[in-house]
Amino acid sequence: MNGLREHLGQSLRLHFRNRMALLYGYLFPLIFLVAFWVLYRHEKIPLIRHMGELLTVSVLGGACFGLPTTLVSERERGVWRRYRLTPLPTWAFVVSTALARYVIILSAGALQLGLALSLGMPLPAHPLDLWVAFTVVSFAFIGLGLVLAMMADNVPAVQALGQCIFLPMLIIGGVAVQLASLPTWAQHVSAFFPGRYAVEALQACVSGGGLGSIGFCLLALALIGVAGCSAGAKLFRWDAAQRFAASSGKLWLVPVLGAWLAVGLLAEVRDRIAVSIDGATVAAPVPVMPAPAPLPPWMKITAKDVAALDFRVPSDGGVVSPFAGPEEEASDYTKDEVEAVRQGLLTWRPGLEGDDVQRVRNLVCVAAVPDSIQHPVERYLPPVVLSHLQEIYPKDKLIKILTWIVLHPEDDNVIDSIADLGVQGSAGDPAVVRERSYLYSLKFILRITGRIDR
Amino acid sequence: METKVRVTGLWKRYGANEALRGVDFTLQAGEIFGLLGPNGAGKTTTLECVLGLREPDAGNVEICGLDARRFPREVKRKLGAALQSTALQDKITPREALDLFGAFYSEPEPTLRLLERFDLVAKADAAFETLSGGQRQRLALALAFVHRPEVVILDEPSTGLDPQARHELHAEIRRMKHDGYTVLLSTHQLDEAAALCDRVAIIDQGRIVATGTPHELVSTAAGGQAVRFTASQLIDPAALTRLPGLRALRCEGLSGYFETDEAAPVVTALLALLAAQGATLWELEVKRSSLEDVFLKLTRPDNKSVNLPV
Repeated sequence: MNGLREHLGQSLRLHFRNRMALLYGYLFPLIFLVAFWVLYRHEKIPLIRHMGELLTVSVLGGACFGLPTTLVSERERGVWRRYRLTPLPTWAFVVSTALARYVIILSAGALQLGLALSLGMPLPAHPLDLWVAFTVVSFAFIGLGLVLAMMADNVPAVQALGQCIFLPMLIIGGVAVQLASLPTWAQHVSAFFPGRYAVEALQACVSGGGLGSIGFCLLALALIGVAGCSAGAKLFRWDAAQRFAASSGKLWLVPVLGAWLAVGLLAEVRDRIAVSIDGATVAAPVPVMPAPAPLPPWMKITAKDVAALDFRVPSDGGVVSPFAGPEEEASDYTKDEVEAVRQGLLTWRPGLEGDDVQRVRNLVCVAAVPDSIQHPVERYLPPVVLSHLQEIYPKDKLIKILTWIVLHPEDDNVIDSIADLGVQGSAGDPAVVRERSYLYSLKFILRITGRIDR
Repeated sequence: METKVRVTGLWKRYGANEALRGVDFTLQAGEIFGLLGPNGAGKTTTLECVLGLREPDAGNVEICGLDARRFPREVKRKLGAALQSTALQDKITPREALDLFGAFYSEPEPTLRLLERFDLVAKADAAFETLSGGQRQRLALALAFVHRPEVVILDEPSTGLDPQARHELHAEIRRMKHDGYTVLLSTHQLDEAAALCDRVAIIDQGRIVATGTPHELVSTAAGGQAVRFTASQLIDPAALTRLPGLRALRCEGLSGYFETDEAAPVVTALLALLAAQGATLWELEVKRSSLEDVFLKLTRPDNKSVNLPV
């Protein structure tokens, strides 16, 4: 253990003395984050919908480029031949190397998170869960990094092999390009890449339901990690003169590829391919819901159905279903409460769980409940809710769901209190909430379709 | 005397190439044993098999009575090594390297003592990339001694060293013998082997072709005296072969080389032959055979070559 500890410590010391390693390991993830921050500057809550992607890119870079580059360059220099002369077993070197890389990746992730917080992102919804998910994601990618290190005969080969993993994962693996904006075939392909599960797992802990909602992702990543680490240890090469092409253990690549294949097939069997929220405007991946079969009835809503709605609604300035105009500002007292609700919606479970209609109905209740109890914030929350809905749903889909709610006001469940969002009081009578939900749904449709200009 | 290293019937193939073809040798406690051979003869492969870096296709290696295949970790505790191609990370310091490698063993030598012994105190906290070739070699030796090994293996230790560093290295290897260590070293430098080794094994094309003390090898393998000469015109080799007591004749242009048990009568006959052919003697060198002669004789691809030794 003393040898393992000393090797771990020395690996970390050497890493922090290497300027290039610091550049790639720490500066690049921060540049990535700033780029995302600029790219998605129109979003009200900076970065929160992208932390899953950003953290995944950091882990991917550290594990699939940083780890094999260090390992292969040391092997080329003869450092590992010298290690082999010592009585420390192979597994101890593999473990200490993997642990050192984990610490490096974790510190890079923490730095990235710190910068995101300083740029205005709220604290992750489940910090402890995030650490657990980050650890599992790191384990999966470090396993891949070990395999790459054993396959690559020299450092240029690491770059070539790493790119073979990195680029597909970024582009069609759900890491840098939203799954929702990919064609169906690419969504199927992404189910075979660990990047998709990494993003889903991390994002769920930042702004979703936490570990409880990402069981499949954790299982997939753990399986890929176990296969990678086992193969990496079995394929371990001490000497640069040993070429991968001539090595006898190439069959150990089979379980590595097998794990990816198994995870993808399992996702297919469990119908986890389709994303629950589609459209290019959707920023954050959320836990994928099983695709309902047959199609949900709200999808059959047509433009004709929308046009046939009775849009006679109370005035926005009235007592029933008030709606603040774009120029209206909340008082100092209510401003904080409104802001708290705006932040809280990002991680509010009723807004994340259940089918689409139920989730939208719950979110509409955030406007309807204060109206029911005539809370001081009642007129300021509807614009917040509408804005939130427009961020997470594409226009056409949102119109259809809201229309469905208008046509079926008595369906599903309604919420009579939003105390967990900081607005105290209970509506008591669900019928009142349903009525106000009906009205606000109409008012939302009016605004989304441009029938009124606010 | 205790046998520290016993190598028997070592075979190693790389594809169709047989790098080792039944190598046998033993090392007794406290001796310096040199593995001498030209490049590609199999020296490094032999040492790597002894160290456990390569798996031989056949044969056995026994270190301090332990079978190296059955007890690899125990054997590694007995061996210290400085490899030909070892380099450490650019940014690691000698102190850190000694601390690190010491941590791999249960009872390491104190780092400061090693730094002092190998004259590295002044460079203890300098990055490896800033060390000179001699300092790097001293660090490699210090790493070999980090766990007080019983047998020290040095693979071409003086390669790339300047004369001063080489002199210091030789002094250090002699000190190892003085301190009672058993040393197995490979080299292709004949003067190094002659100066340092108690016994030498000459290895060529994967097999040991001679073993003994440098003195024994010279007297038994080469023996007699070596004569080199240069004449003013080409001499017929057929005429030279008729000279009495001459052997191992090689001719190249105006120059010739041969060995003989007693030089004086042959040289007299040579002078007579040159005079008869109208030639004069430009250069003549007579010397006792050396380890170099033995080495060249035993490792020459074609001993019947008429080329002069390089």
